Amino acid sequence: MRVIIANILAIYQRELRSYFASPLAYVVAGIFWLLAGIFYTALLLGPDGVIQRAALIDLQSQQLGVPAPPVDAPTILLRFFLEALGFISIFILPVLSMGLYAEERKRGTLELLATSPITNWAVALGKLLAVVTFFLTMVLPLLLYQAIAYAATNPPMSVAIVLLGHLGLILLAASILSLGMFISSLTDSTILAAIFTFALVLLLWMIDSLSKSFSGPLGSVLGHLSLLKHYGNLTQGILDSSSLILFASYIILGLFLTAQSIEAFKFQRS
Amino acid sequence: MIEVEHLSKLYGSTTAIEDVTFAVERGEILGFLGPNGAGKTTTMRILTGYLPATSGTAKVAGFEVHEDSLAVRRQIGYLPETPPLYPEMTVEGFLHFVARIKGVSAGDRAHQVESAMSRCGLMEKRTTLIRKLSKGYKQRVGIAQAIVHDPPAIILDEPTVGLDPRQIIEVRNLIKSLAGDRTIILSTHILPEVSMTCSRVAIINRGRIVATNTPENLMTQLSEASSYEVEVAADTDEAETQLISSLKGLAGVKQVERLTINLPEHRFKLRVTTEQGAESVGRAIAATVVGGGLGLEEMRRTQVSLEDVFLQLTTEEAPLETDTESQTETTGEAA
Repeated sequence: MRVIIANILAIYQRELRSYFASPLAYVVAGIFWLLAGIFYTALLLGPDGVIQRAALIDLQSQQLGVPAPPVDAPTILLRFFLEALGFISIFILPVLSMGLYAEERKRGTLELLATSPITNWAVALGKLLAVVTFFLTMVLPLLLYQAIAYAATNPPMSVAIVLLGHLGLILLAASILSLGMFISSLTDSTILAAIFTFALVLLLWMIDSLSKSFSGPLGSVLGHLSLLKHYGNLTQGILDSSSLILFASYIILGLFLTAQSIEAFKFQRS
Repeated sequence: MIEVEHLSKLYGSTTAIEDVTFAVERGEILGFLGPNGAGKTTTMRILTGYLPATSGTAKVAGFEVHEDSLAVRRQIGYLPETPPLYPEMTVEGFLHFVARIKGVSAGDRAHQVESAMSRCGLMEKRTTLIRKLSKGYKQRVGIAQAIVHDPPAIILDEPTVGLDPRQIIEVRNLIKSLAGDRTIILSTHILPEVSMTCSRVAIINRGRIVATNTPENLMTQLSEASSYEVEVAADTDEAETQLISSLKGLAGVKQVERLTINLPEHRFKLRVTTEQGAESVGRAIAATVVGGGLGLEEMRRTQVSLEDVFLQLTTEEAPLETDTESQTETTGEAA
């Protein structure tokens, strides 16, 4: 057991260092921050932004002479912003996961890993943890925006809800990265890996609306697979065990398929 | 140390290796010699547990390579055809990483990395990024990663390919210095390399082992056997048949064959292969021809070169050129 943990740690550290040494990773992080900043500003100050809407409600209540229900603009802003981060992530994450195995295959280093006394599982888990950690460091600076909004919530928003939203974001990212890692293990082209991952994630994101065109059990099963629906629940502070199970299933499925595909890759070489 | 028995590997319906059997003792350097696509890489990949065999068994230090894969991987250092390197890492950082995943304990790691670097002459490049190294240095880092955990068995796939002559000599010396109580298998398609580095040679062709011997034995065997080419003028066909049979009767003559070359009428050419160490056969051949009343037009002694026998062992009926071509294609797919 100690050996396995040491192996996972070795893979984790090497992978994480290679992200911090890679210009691409910084470009991705930069774009992520830029988009997040644009969304935050738009959600707050834009024509459909939170402030405009609050002003509209105020105006309406004055005209009708009915006292308006209090509007907690910062809380709404936080929720919208978390949803926006999830949306940006589906474009950004495939770029982070595309090289996980495709790059190793291209360089021939997969042969080193496959002939070292280390299991496919340990390699896959170490890699996944590393890329999730890198994503976390991308999210950290954005907490500053959210702290400003959080300080202004009235009545004060529960910390648990904010934490739950972020847990949701991490689980969402880990699910997408895990599936992306599997797709990356199927090819030695990083571009193909990114495109296919994006297509898959988009499908899992939209499957909620697609499922409405199917009636009966099939529709409800498909609806449950939706990333959007479960992520939305978590950002609104709804802790549903089925959401946690769904995200955990995606993560484990990605790890399992990756380990299997590397094993199969060794068999089918011709 | 390494025992391979009746190993076969099929890729779909193509046979990569067939019924390969050999053994390597502790401390030996075995050279795996064969043309491209002969099955060298496949055999090595099976030994390292990278590929499963279709049938047969391979054992390293008593562990079966497929069943006890993890145990075998601990015993082996492996340099694949293309050195597996992470370009964004430094030489030292990369070797530390390899030592970790090969299971070298934290306390020994610094020392092991240090010793692998000094053996491979990498001390002055320790903080250089791998992507900035020359090809020769990259190859050395490749060898260093194969020995960093001090494995009892080392497998090197074409360790000198693509290097310049000076680097080739350095790498060969490095490999020789690694021997001792370690077991080394290296593959190559360059003949002299084998005689310079290996204590034993296995010649492999089309997936089969065609000869196993020490390089000295192979060399002596080859250099002592020589042959004569004799061009004779004769009036009748009977004279020719008669000459061949009397030549075959001479002491020290191993084989007489007729060479099919376009010659003027009433002329023919024979190749007389002599046995090892046979002396003054040439004189007897000349005497036989002249004594039979035939005209000795030309007589030439040809020394059999290492290359000749290698080609003889590794080519069958198919003409050489198309043969190697089709086999290179198979390698391309295999890689």
